[in-house]
Amino acid sequence: MPHQVPLTIRAPLKPGRRAEVSALLDTLGKSIEHDGSPFAGMPGVHFARVFVLPGDPALDSGLDVPDTLVYLAEVDAPLRRHLDDVLDEESLAALFAQCAEYPERGAHGDRVRWARDHRVGAAAWYVHRVGRGVDQVRDEARLRTAVADFLDGRDWSGAGPGQVHRAVQDFVGSQPDLAWALAPAPLPGPLFRFREAVHAVGWAAALLPVSPLLLAVLPGWLLLVRRHERRDVPETARPSRAHVAELTAGEDHGTPNPFTAYGRVKPGFVRGVTIRVALRGLDYANRHVFARDNLAGIRSIHFARWVLLDGGRRVVFASNYDGSQESYMSDFIDRIAWGVNLVFSNGVGYPSTRWLVLDGARDEQRYKNYLRNHQLPSVWFSAYPALSARNVDDNSALRDGLAGELTEEGARRWLSLV
Amino acid sequence: MALPGVRTSAARSPSPTLDVADVQGLVVRGYGRLPHAAFLLCRVHDAAGARTFLRAHVDDVATGLGHDERWALQIAFTAPGLVALGLPDDVVEGGFAAPFVEGMVTPHRRRLLGDVGPADPATWNWGGPDTPVHLLLLVYAATAEVLDEQRTALLATAGDALDVVADLSTDELGEREPFGFVDGLSQPRLAGLPSGRAGGRTVATGEFVLGYPNGYGQLAPRPLLDPDTDPDRVLPRDPGGSGAADLGCGGSYLVARQLRQDVDGFTSFLRDRTRGTDGADDGQAQERLAAKIVGRWRSGAPLVLAPDADDPGTKYADFGYHAEDPRGLACPLGAHVRRANPRDALPPKPGSERSLRLTDQHRLLRRARSYTMDGERGLHFLCLVGDLSRQYEFVQHSWINDPVFDGLHDDGDPLVAPRGPRGGTFVEQAVPVRRRYRDLPEFVRVRGGAYFFLPGVSALRYLAQLPPTSDEESR
Repeated sequence: MPHQVPLTIRAPLKPGRRAEVSALLDTLGKSIEHDGSPFAGMPGVHFARVFVLPGDPALDSGLDVPDTLVYLAEVDAPLRRHLDDVLDEESLAALFAQCAEYPERGAHGDRVRWARDHRVGAAAWYVHRVGRGVDQVRDEARLRTAVADFLDGRDWSGAGPGQVHRAVQDFVGSQPDLAWALAPAPLPGPLFRFREAVHAVGWAAALLPVSPLLLAVLPGWLLLVRRHERRDVPETARPSRAHVAELTAGEDHGTPNPFTAYGRVKPGFVRGVTIRVALRGLDYANRHVFARDNLAGIRSIHFARWVLLDGGRRVVFASNYDGSQESYMSDFIDRIAWGVNLVFSNGVGYPSTRWLVLDGARDEQRYKNYLRNHQLPSVWFSAYPALSARNVDDNSALRDGLAGELTEEGARRWLSLV
Repeated sequence: MALPGVRTSAARSPSPTLDVADVQGLVVRGYGRLPHAAFLLCRVHDAAGARTFLRAHVDDVATGLGHDERWALQIAFTAPGLVALGLPDDVVEGGFAAPFVEGMVTPHRRRLLGDVGPADPATWNWGGPDTPVHLLLLVYAATAEVLDEQRTALLATAGDALDVVADLSTDELGEREPFGFVDGLSQPRLAGLPSGRAGGRTVATGEFVLGYPNGYGQLAPRPLLDPDTDPDRVLPRDPGGSGAADLGCGGSYLVARQLRQDVDGFTSFLRDRTRGTDGADDGQAQERLAAKIVGRWRSGAPLVLAPDADDPGTKYADFGYHAEDPRGLACPLGAHVRRANPRDALPPKPGSERSLRLTDQHRLLRRARSYTMDGERGLHFLCLVGDLSRQYEFVQHSWINDPVFDGLHDDGDPLVAPRGPRGGTFVEQAVPVRRRYRDLPEFVRVRGGAYFFLPGVSALRYLAQLPPTSDEESR
């Protein structure tokens, strides 16, 4: 199965186009709500969103950062296929046409070049299950429905779990549109796996010899950070009702929800290095430790990315998570406040931290206000609005269990998935 | 208005004792000794008159200290109600929690709470866009006669100042709710109230009363006023140390929802789905299915402790889910009580104290009473919380209504969740194969609702003596 790729395209808007962009975004939103188009027809799209990232006139005196349009998607490789689809799509092209330098009258190749030129890499990227494509998610959901209906249709009293398991295998094998499920899910391509292995080993090998030095530097670094922390000023403003209403208009229509937020990175060398090191470490952990079904224990995030912009002076965070924002925030505050603090305490206005990881998100009200204040509305598409990440995992486990024989205990556990 | 002083340390702070003299009694007790009750939902017709009414009755309001043995009165306000009474807009909007200020019926909240389709607030008897409410008068009495007497007296004093939007009567308090289940068995204990009922988890006072540290050891935002507006020091001063006059201290948010219960529908469902192959009714199977749906037998015995047969003696017993029933074979994973209070079932580290403390952040102090009105049976669901979003809305949305709760796929709460396009399935975990009930009918339908603030006693006095607003004076 293909591995997943983050795509971020960011381009400055032509001056004076905000109203037009709003209208186009509105139309796009209605189209998605109606029947998922245009994204529902594009293969390999897990999630996609479009939003305006407000400019920041104060970033550099004399250097104005204008409003930019951002297109952000989580897609299955190959990326080129998706780029082609997106750039050929009229409603999206109309949006890109609001951007400076977009080759409106250019050939397809020109537009691809424009997109590549405006592509931004993610400093860190999280995938709930590396290598599970959209088709696999949908097919395994279909499989589950069929198996559940099959189980409903018979009286299983007196049967052992192993017996039921074999009956399900027979049933699945007998259905032409389900028989594929008896084979285990293919792994991502060998090139991808090789590259990931090299990355895992390579970084470990590079850091191992210098790790004593890094550990020696760490206390001093933390002291420097602590000095900065004493000077930091946390934001105290409550989010406006209008802003929250705009955000919540797009929330809780299905199980997954989008979250997009941005902020300025605290100026200075210490903060700049800290956030980059934290994001590198996070990316490494996401790729090699958290690639199966959780992010530091949190099971409800489908995808997430952290993007540094404007010379590292701003950061954008975008995720797709399950449940309401209230439950999302509760998860972070209650379970991995230290992790959130590690990265985001480097953002201007974040609730006060101590030693980089203490307090911060644990200041419940300030943290929740901060998130809402920095959150952006977006037009958003999800390919499986009824499925939580856990549902998708359980469906995969269901499929995996069809591949061979199971012990009685294994079969019993497997049956609890349906 | 700046955020009040917030201690940011994550350490658990000792919980100060609850000042029971300054809270309304509902925080401390459910008035079990006053089995008759009526809830009057009113709108302010005349602000000055409403304040006069309040002044006339503020001494009747029962505090946490105790109540007259014959009756008790409690008073709560919606955000529009506080404004109608004369509290300045900016104090209401700036000082109270967003859900309270915005109200229960915003478009997003309707999705969160499941108030869509046939449950849309446009269809409600009260609290909907056509029937806004300002005030809730809760009257509790020892006998029906006293109830009637006090109710009449209150309405007489109110006169034209208050319009009655809904006059909700309740059943005489019994042990069981309309579906036949013993109710109210699991209530949290307030840390600052050591004399509370034994058993049950002890939870930070601030989870239910403002002005006290909550589950994070922090003081939730409250309406803090310029002390110049309170020269007589009617209000306590901000426990956070800012010197502001604290209008929120001693108060709680009160969620009220009128829930109609389709008792016949529930009975028919149980009968139809457990009918034997010979077409005969199976009473035992009906009781068993009912228990599986709720998570307790009708007697109150928890399925976790009494998985195969009822055992009424266990109804008050404490229990956990993780060690005793991780797979839901005794109490189904989606059963009502398991959703409303997951105890130690939640990650991280299910079964641990940490897991229990996470659940502690989402508790409700319930004060419901059942009703029978116009042939309809139901529950006037009332609960007190300190944080509407993290407690009530979270429980309703992320636990009760959520079709993917705890890894389920299409299961809302089988007993109380509204039925939308999703969530109408109930899975009863079993070995070797689970039993799946599909297309559950809706048993509970919301008929009215609003978010109220139940002020502390000092706050009530302060509200009673608000000066006329400039609007009123210009008339």
